[in-house]
Amino acid sequence: MDSDDDFMTDASSQEDFLGTQGSDDESLGDDFADDLDGGFPYDKDIEKTAKRPYEVEFKILSPADIEMEQTQQMNEVSSILGLPPESVAILLRFARWNREKLIESYMDHPAETLEEAGLGHNFEGTPRTEVVPGFMCEICCDDGGSLQTYAMLCGHRFCVECFERYLAQKIREEGEAARIQCPQDNCHRIVDSKSLGLLVTSDLTSRYQTLLTRTYVDDKENLKWCPAPNCEYAVDCAVKPRDFNKIVPTVQCACKLSFCFGCTMNDHQPPPCSLVKMWLKKCEDDSETANWISANTKECPKCHSTIEKNGGCNHMTCRKCKHEFCWMCMGLWSEHGTSWYNCNRYEERSGSDARDAQARSRQSLERYLHYYNRYANHEQSAKLDKDLYLKTEKKMTSLQSQSGLSWIEVQFLHTASQALQQCRQTLKWTYAFAFYLSRNNLTEIFEDNQKDLELAVESLSEMFEKPVSDLAKLKVDILDKTSYCNKRRVILLSDTADNLKNGVWSFNVDL
Amino acid sequence: MSSSSVAQKRLFHEYRNLSINPPEGIFAGPATEDDMFNWEALIQGPEGTPFEGGVFAAELKFPKDYPLNPPTMKFVGGGVWHPNGDDPNHYEHASERWSPIQSVEKILISVMSMLAEPNDESPANIEAAKMWRDRRNDYERRVRDEVRRGLGL
Repeated sequence: MDSDDDFMTDASSQEDFLGTQGSDDESLGDDFADDLDGGFPYDKDIEKTAKRPYEVEFKILSPADIEMEQTQQMNEVSSILGLPPESVAILLRFARWNREKLIESYMDHPAETLEEAGLGHNFEGTPRTEVVPGFMCEICCDDGGSLQTYAMLCGHRFCVECFERYLAQKIREEGEAARIQCPQDNCHRIVDSKSLGLLVTSDLTSRYQTLLTRTYVDDKENLKWCPAPNCEYAVDCAVKPRDFNKIVPTVQCACKLSFCFGCTMNDHQPPPCSLVKMWLKKCEDDSETANWISANTKECPKCHSTIEKNGGCNHMTCRKCKHEFCWMCMGLWSEHGTSWYNCNRYEERSGSDARDAQARSRQSLERYLHYYNRYANHEQSAKLDKDLYLKTEKKMTSLQSQSGLSWIEVQFLHTASQALQQCRQTLKWTYAFAFYLSRNNLTEIFEDNQKDLELAVESLSEMFEKPVSDLAKLKVDILDKTSYCNKRRVILLSDTADNLKNGVWSFNVDL
Repeated sequence: MSSSSVAQKRLFHEYRNLSINPPEGIFAGPATEDDMFNWEALIQGPEGTPFEGGVFAAELKFPKDYPLNPPTMKFVGGGVWHPNGDDPNHYEHASERWSPIQSVEKILISVMSMLAEPNDESPANIEAAKMWRDRRNDYERRVRDEVRRGLGL
């Protein structure tokens, strides 16, 4: 997989749109300014490659990184507020990790903030498990003399066994972690991680950690889980939801999946998320049905009900509005006189009006089908290319043995197959994008770009399918075509992304 | 200690407390002494309400992991015409948050106070809730009739 890195990083290289977003309304002081929206405390994963207009800056976080981020923020806020880290953790989770707001609210009303977050005001002493003479656990009613007991700082004491069972129930059965309250009725004190560590077994602690990490990612606007099945990475991207109409924030996870940070669907550049959503909705409703309707039906010239003529004469009476018309010329039947069964009134005024109206509505349907067919075609071809990709490995092996090339020398096939898939993915979405574009000079440039890319992709696809014996000879051509495809794709995406960012596209729908 | 033996012990303890020191208008205990997980309870209609004079029988079923999870409660016989009653035969204990510290006694007391003061924010029996809100006299008459019928009068 190494050789395709150059080309794969195309999708993951960086572009900084943040310059315009620095003027965030809630920035509080220079000290915290760089922490707003998850400033990156360490930058080992930031890739420094050339930025392109359609690329956004992002960072991939492993579960350990996410835990580290949390710990670091806890420690920082802990030193600012002078509270123990495990208590600060509860405060931060309560404030959904908005530390500026938390610090502000704590400085203004410390008691209320602590109370609301479920912390109480008592921070004295370190709770530990102990034997208390004469104690009876209110949950299990055990009063044995050697009973180990535990109470958090709220002072509600239970036996260790009941406490553990209670926590196990919450964590395992109810999937709770961040907001587990004291077992006592009406006590809103949140169980902190330190108490938890004392009371439960390590497998529960790790489940608890997982749940906390999940809440952390869900709470932060700048974090999203990679949608790939079984992928445990999250992506940190600072593009704000309000900018999703201007930027398509495509990111690539460590698992190689390229997805949109906005809607977590597969990479759908160039159309922004809102158009993608509209398009998919439309395709769900229409597509094949629309195709059939277009081919087999006409509309009643009066009420526009869709009518299928399945036999009989040309004298149509609309079931809905009782309008009588001629199926051939769509004109009023009353104007046909007695020349039934033989429509020779084509030039009649009412008939041509009806045909015009019908033509317009059919035209919009056909326009949709034009784009849909091409969209679907690229989707289908991408699937076929994927099958081809699976065969590529075999091809590479047989090419090695047939032509005496080394492993490294046959890697070009792999690269080509990657390029094909990526370009098809882009092409597919250009048709959805084009469907919503209003015509102007920009659309012509766009269509030229689209055409160039499409031609290049088709010819690469053709070369790629050649028998193995020809491939060695075609190597240079394939290499050239691959890089040409990639370049065309970059040009197309840069152009669309630039225009999107500058708001110069005009769409025929509201975003 | 397994969770069902915790439940058993706790239920026995609660049963003992309820027998030694029963709250006013409430009688509760296991249906048979061999099975601590099925209880029967009798609740008196609170005074000064249309339920006054009535006695309502209910069944309580405890889960094996009681008190981590709450019991379910169901009125038997004629049931109760009440905004928070599901159908007249079922009665969900609508506690805010279950905590293992809550007890049978607390459940029954809160049921009793709910009879007196329905929680019309979350009605389970819409018909009864509407009647209670819009035609209080009819509601009270109906409750009184049902109480009398329940007593065989």
